[in-house]
Amino acid sequence: MNILLIEDDTATASFIQKGLNEQGYIVDHAADGEDGLHLGLNNPYDVMIIDRMLPGMDGLSIIRALRRQNISTPVLILSALGEVDNRVEGLRAGGDDYLVKPYAFSELHARLQALLRRAQPAQEQTVLKLADLEMDLMKRQVKRGDTVINLQPREFTLLEYLLRNAGQVVTRTMLLEKVWDYHFDPQTNVIDVHISRLRGKIDRDFDPPLLHTIRGAGYILHDPTAA
Amino acid sequence: MIRRLLNTTAFRLSLVYALLFSIVSAVAMMSVYWVVEENIIHQTDAQLQLQADVLLNRYGTRNNEALLGDIMRRNQLNTSDPDRRFYYYELRRHGKDISFETEYSTHNGSQLFTTLPLNEAINYSLLKDPKQPARIMVRLLPDNYQLLVATDISAQNALLDKVFNSIVLAIAGIVTLAVIGGGLMGYSVLRRIDRVRQTVGEIINGDLSQRMYVTSRNDEFDRLSIVLNSMLKRIEQLMQAMREVTDNLAHDLRNPLNRLRNRLEANQFRDPASTDFQQLNQDAMQDVDDLIKTFNALLSIAQVESGVQRDDWKDVNITQLINDLGELYEVVAEEKNISFSHHSEEQLVVHGNRQLLAQALTNLLDNAVKYTPENGRIELLAENTTEGINILVADSGIGIPADKHKQVFERFVRLEEARSTAGNGLGLSLVKAVTDLHGATITLTDNQPGLKISIKFTNYRL
Repeated sequence: MNILLIEDDTATASFIQKGLNEQGYIVDHAADGEDGLHLGLNNPYDVMIIDRMLPGMDGLSIIRALRRQNISTPVLILSALGEVDNRVEGLRAGGDDYLVKPYAFSELHARLQALLRRAQPAQEQTVLKLADLEMDLMKRQVKRGDTVINLQPREFTLLEYLLRNAGQVVTRTMLLEKVWDYHFDPQTNVIDVHISRLRGKIDRDFDPPLLHTIRGAGYILHDPTAA
Repeated sequence: MIRRLLNTTAFRLSLVYALLFSIVSAVAMMSVYWVVEENIIHQTDAQLQLQADVLLNRYGTRNNEALLGDIMRRNQLNTSDPDRRFYYYELRRHGKDISFETEYSTHNGSQLFTTLPLNEAINYSLLKDPKQPARIMVRLLPDNYQLLVATDISAQNALLDKVFNSIVLAIAGIVTLAVIGGGLMGYSVLRRIDRVRQTVGEIINGDLSQRMYVTSRNDEFDRLSIVLNSMLKRIEQLMQAMREVTDNLAHDLRNPLNRLRNRLEANQFRDPASTDFQQLNQDAMQDVDDLIKTFNALLSIAQVESGVQRDDWKDVNITQLINDLGELYEVVAEEKNISFSHHSEEQLVVHGNRQLLAQALTNLLDNAVKYTPENGRIELLAENTTEGINILVADSGIGIPADKHKQVFERFVRLEEARSTAGNGLGLSLVKAVTDLHGATITLTDNQPGLKISIKFTNYRL
């Protein structure tokens, strides 16, 4: 997986680069907007991480320039400007996700994975599956093995998001954003409570447990028995 | 000073005004002058006409001998009475000249000369001899005789001179008064502006407590000063708040940073595989996360207070928001065995920012859950009142003493009762900033037991 990182702060850049290298990604780094755009226009990347505030050319202009050239590589915008209108502006310019500084590396990684997944041509799935957990999107029915599990509408959306990102860490912030559409940091344990509810329904009476907590990061839905 | 006075707008305006006024009044007065002059000449001519008519009626146009005799007698009378209003008469015969020069003796023996055109039956002429100004009328009689009647007009001229002089005097007076008045006005404006400048100078030098001087006149300067003063007050309050925030921030960050440093220091020599190391590492991460949360909360409050987010306001469906948040917090309350109920009237809409309103309400709900003991209850309600939409968050928790109701909205303020729980003392500050941004009022009341928070929106639409 090739990643383009456009970030002017060298300390942050080398930290991200190192972290992503450890995760097995190949990272190209550009320290200013023009270099970044040049790299982005001339090399195929799987995902780009673009800082909003850059010397030379700002992040949003780079994204607009890329989109004009029909380069649809998913872009994660990094920004110190954290509020909703900035987020909307960033997404409107063609960004795919928006991460506000300061952020945890695990958050960045989780969001990158979500973007990479989204970039893969997804055939319209009507059934999502993990181990013996099955979600039928048409019937809006969830089963584990042969047992039908009754979920509240929001629990269904939550599980759907987890299933679509199965095998990847999703953070509490991501869940609050994608499932509840609230773009702010959860201050308390609301998400944890909802997760534990869901866990009670899909995991308690079954084996193996599928919904796992990753300390300091978030949650992951995966099948521990598979490879 | 004089130079600055001359440069003031007030002075220039009054000067321009004086100039325009002088021109207008000069034109008006000159018209009066001309009308008076016209009138005097007209009257004089009528008198000359009358004199001629009297003579001609008495003697007819043929009896020239008798007429001449009368004229001689009249002229004689004039000469002997210097105070009379003089008329001079002459009858003479003339040749074919188109114009002729006439001369006649006045009562004091001087000669009058004038040249009159002869193409009219009656001719008038002004004799502008300064010693003996006169109006002369010549009437043509049969057989080339002319009857000349003249009158002294020095009295009329003196009157006209007086009128003219008073006009000049009046204009001079107007200009002088305008200059003096303009100067005074300019001076008073200058003095008040100097006062403002002085105050502003002191404020620039850092004394934010200075205020503009306000007189009791309540004129436009006073009104301007009052507005400026309220702006200065606001700025001072903001500066004060900022200073407090900085102080509090320094204080509140020192502890966790210090703790973090100690943890990292203690971990330096530990075996990375040991559970102690792992535990401390987790704790350190938690410390940093808390710090980041504090920073983000502060940034959010600052951004909300700056008001920039008003740009992308939309109609927010409060009914749906209450239902969503109710659903979100229901389970949290249940977890703590707190009975939670939420209800909203249908189709409540507030113009605003959904994210911020949601964040404010989650802060309130977080607090409610945090400070309500087990088996308590929490209510989330939205209703439409006559004044506007009202959102209520009520709990049966520990509540807030009435004398602290104001204080809790300040940044980093945490009451004694809350010290043991997690939190940064910024939640309610954000709530306040959000409600202020939306023009809503937030009030705390005792729920006996517990706390009831009501947010009243006034800019509602149904």
